[in-house]
Amino acid sequence: MQPTSSMKEEFLKKWQMGLEIVRPSIDNTNVSERKKAIKLSADVAMASLRKGTTCWSRALIQKSATEDNFLVRQVLSGIKAETLINKKLTKKVVCHRKIVRRSKKISRRKSRSASEEAAAKAKRIVKKRTQGLRSVVPGGEFMSNDVLLLQETLDYIVSLQTQVNVMRSIVDAAEAEIER
Amino acid sequence: MMMDRATQSEFFLNYTDMSVLERQRAQLKYHHPGFDSTLAGFLSDSSMINGGEFGGFMGASGSDFPVIYGETATGSDSRLSISPDNITTSATFGSGNFKKRKFNSVVTESKGCNAKKVMMNREVEEEEEKSKITEQNNESTMTMKDKSKKEQSNCSKDSSKVTKELQKTDYIHVRARRGQATDSHSIAERARREKISERMKYLQDLVPGCDKITGKAGMLDEIINYVQSLQRQVEFLSMKLAAVSPRIDFDIDDIFAKEVVSAPITTNLPNTVMPSHEMVNSGYPHEMVNSGYLHFNPVQQVVTSSDPLSCFNVNNGQAPSMWDSDVQNLYSSLGV
Repeated sequence: MQPTSSMKEEFLKKWQMGLEIVRPSIDNTNVSERKKAIKLSADVAMASLRKGTTCWSRALIQKSATEDNFLVRQVLSGIKAETLINKKLTKKVVCHRKIVRRSKKISRRKSRSASEEAAAKAKRIVKKRTQGLRSVVPGGEFMSNDVLLLQETLDYIVSLQTQVNVMRSIVDAAEAEIER
Repeated sequence: MMMDRATQSEFFLNYTDMSVLERQRAQLKYHHPGFDSTLAGFLSDSSMINGGEFGGFMGASGSDFPVIYGETATGSDSRLSISPDNITTSATFGSGNFKKRKFNSVVTESKGCNAKKVMMNREVEEEEEKSKITEQNNESTMTMKDKSKKEQSNCSKDSSKVTKELQKTDYIHVRARRGQATDSHSIAERARREKISERMKYLQDLVPGCDKITGKAGMLDEIINYVQSLQRQVEFLSMKLAAVSPRIDFDIDDIFAKEVVSAPITTNLPNTVMPSHEMVNSGYPHEMVNSGYLHFNPVQQVVTSSDPLSCFNVNNGQAPSMWDSDVQNLYSSLGV
């Protein structure tokens, strides 16, 4: 599942559109501001590739919309931008499940062998890592189950690879231009 | 005293007989739910036949009634204690041979008829000794016949009875389903785990250096690292672009035009995720990022210390001299 060239081209197109929009901020601010604008436009371009079908892209769009609403609207033109920006991502409350788990824990604590202990430990570690992954992937806390989280992570990684590839080639081209 | 006991036994017998009939019916219905009405008819017929047999046996005499009574009593008592499926067999082997309870339903049904006959015989024997009891028994058999007729005529009553019995069995069935439910839970859990492992396999293919790691926790760790490294790379690249951007601004369309042409070329190389030459040499994401940091250090040296670039302060100092000079040249040419 390497990033395809069509994906790259699409991303480049979107990003170009975004850069056009944020050009004023690129022109007359310091490096950090410029960097922020470039990164924002790249992120929005990446998120718009998925057209709001994935959780992470929706979360990313929402996050960038709080920073630059106009840019997001422009890049998302054609796609239902309003609904994507204003769509409330609901975090599912699984209170009852926690209660059940707690009660289970109490009942299990009484009889535990060494292997069970080890299994519980491994389970805890995996849970921790899953939480870590949730915090790394945008919108991860809205993904209800592990399967969805892994699926979104797959998609997110491919998109990130596309983004990095394109950005790197642009940087290379720019550097080559300057070196000349 | 004997009279009382005899009547008691009769009642027991009648009760057991009825219960045998009903249970037989219920069992049959349970096993062949489609043949409800025909079965009901058949069973009522059989009860009638039994009644006739009972009439025929009136003339015969019994010898050891108390023993029989005791046997029947034990049979009925045992019936109280054991589960409904085994009643017929227990009644059949009223002499206490309870080991044969484990017979399957077909055997039970066939034995059930025998049991009825045996019971009838006992009834007859009892009735031979006491006439009152005979009358009572006649009455009881009459009521039995009436009941059977009623059952024949009032299909609704019968069906309701049977449904009640079935509800009983249904409850048991539901309990069995409860066992199955946990089973289905475990099936669902297994399906979920399979899904997760499948996704993990894809991720293993996608994330470099992840295929050597076994164990979910380690893989998740590696995935997190990779995602973070990619995010940092984006950060770094946008930083780099920001540093170069004044020039990009001037001929941005030019570069983009070039890139659109050159981008498919870079994608044709499948394994070069990072087209940049110094990145290709370092095959590991951390190293990539670190080299990125190294790469970026000169810029940090040029830009004032109050700049938020201080986050790139990792691996400070030892930047390759060629990059140092390069970026310094770049910056001097840009005039930032």
